[in-house]
Amino acid sequence: MEAHPLPRVVLTAIVPNQSAAHKEMETNLLTELGKSLLTGSLEDGRLMAQTGEPPAVQILPEANVIKVGGQSFIDRGRVAVFPLIEEIVENLRRHKMIIGTGAGTRARHAYSVGLDLGLPTGVLSVLGTFVSMQNARMLNYLLAKHGIPFIEPAQFAQLPHYLAERGACIFFGMPPYIYWHTNPSVGRIPPHRTDTGSYLVSEVFGARSMIFVKDERGLYTADPKKEPGAKFIPRITVGELEELDLQDVVVERSVIELMKNATHRRSIQIINGLERGNLTKALDGEHVGTIITSD
Amino acid sequence: MSDSTENRDGRHHVESMLMRESLVDREVQRSTETPVYRMLPEAHVIKVGGRSVMDAGRAVVYPVVEALADCLKTKKLIIGTGGGVRSRHVFSIGIDLGLPTGVLAQLAVADSLGNAHILGTLLAPYGVVAIPPEIFGHLLPLFIASAPGVVFNGDPPYSLWEHLPESGRIPPHRSDAGSFLLAECFGCKTFTLVKDVDGLYERDPREHAGAGLIREIDTAELRRRGFESLPFERILIDLLENARLVRSIQIVNGRHPERIKAALEGEHVGTIIHAGQNRER
Repeated sequence: MEAHPLPRVVLTAIVPNQSAAHKEMETNLLTELGKSLLTGSLEDGRLMAQTGEPPAVQILPEANVIKVGGQSFIDRGRVAVFPLIEEIVENLRRHKMIIGTGAGTRARHAYSVGLDLGLPTGVLSVLGTFVSMQNARMLNYLLAKHGIPFIEPAQFAQLPHYLAERGACIFFGMPPYIYWHTNPSVGRIPPHRTDTGSYLVSEVFGARSMIFVKDERGLYTADPKKEPGAKFIPRITVGELEELDLQDVVVERSVIELMKNATHRRSIQIINGLERGNLTKALDGEHVGTIITSD
Repeated sequence: MSDSTENRDGRHHVESMLMRESLVDREVQRSTETPVYRMLPEAHVIKVGGRSVMDAGRAVVYPVVEALADCLKTKKLIIGTGGGVRSRHVFSIGIDLGLPTGVLAQLAVADSLGNAHILGTLLAPYGVVAIPPEIFGHLLPLFIASAPGVVFNGDPPYSLWEHLPESGRIPPHRSDAGSFLLAECFGCKTFTLVKDVDGLYERDPREHAGAGLIREIDTAELRRRGFESLPFERILIDLLENARLVRSIQIVNGRHPERIKAALEGEHVGTIIHAGQNRER
């Protein structure tokens, strides 16, 4: 990085009046954009577009984010989970992995109970978080002998260290929105669940890939568990997917929505983790499932 | 809903209404649209602006504190604060360094939390303090039952998991959104934004003297008219439209602090925004 003298930013500790404090900050700002941000409206479209101009840094460009399904994977137990754990271990020295967990059938049970009792979306989100945390703990114990930690959102500052030292790290997939979870437009199920939470980790860190490990080959025109005639879609863009207007899709709709505005993670892959070798191939950049791209 | 089932698909299910269902399926989602329980129906949520109130200093903040203290005699208040000019500053540095939206959201919490502590200090004589975000949500009903009110940093705890904005890098869910989402989740009685303007104007009143004040509007009309500048976070339009319990908000001018209490009592003293019809439901 090129070294050049930066104007020092001084936040005056004790100021006689507020306008002086603002001036102090303004005159010490780095950029014109900084000045506009201090004085302008954050609802001004033109100013907001300017905030996207400075080039974005990729915080963890070598890391891969892997989301292990709840209902689709962990709920199948040993027969599905053990081979995947082996495959993760095989890849420890080859790839950096940030592993998120889904919630699954117990979350569905908790949501059902909560819905019947009239609980709001924010509380359902708390309940879903607990279940994905159980799943994260279970994967954590299965990988413990390899020194792989489980971290909660408050410990994410340590994630780069664990990744550098051990090559992998486990987190619960639910984004930590809890009581602040936005309502869905229809119904009361929290719209941003473990697919979304995992995807956002890959986007914010500028990760190398986002792989969803599920129990289907990828995206189909309908749920293949219910409609045997459903057709497999190997590759699709977000725009094409929206045009198809499918009744059901293999990842949370909010992932697809968020991909439109993504800076870094503009493609995801959904793979069948029940097939041995698929995770390794996907980590190696091969196309083994469905790839969804932003454009 | 208690039996465990392992069925033909090899997944161990717990029997429930949503068992085996894809939560992404639209029909399944529609089946979950049922009435919502209100956790704190008597509490009022007030968001005190960062730049518009807190940064304006003693001349503006002290009268607002007095007005809040007056409300606290008869009402339970949940007061959120914005980060104001310090958040704008940290955004500008963070953007210059190329940091992503999620990191900016994480950084901004420190500023609104600072303002929450400032307001909490001034409201301390009335038994109201700033509560750390880590315990705030879970313990809120306990605090509300035991104290006249609480102050919190208005931001939602989205942090690294903040959504990407349509344009640029600024986090879209800031303290207006966080305070509103809290009011909606807890089913509070009112939601009031305390700013430095009388409400929503046809054009930015700071730049266009004589711009007309809009006293009442709904979200559909708000979208249709496509205002260039708004005195609140744009994402509030979406959040209000999807709200089940808090179906209107009021924006009041903190330079006329008596309007805060009037707004809590249901008087129309600023701009009232109603949730428009959600076409999908």
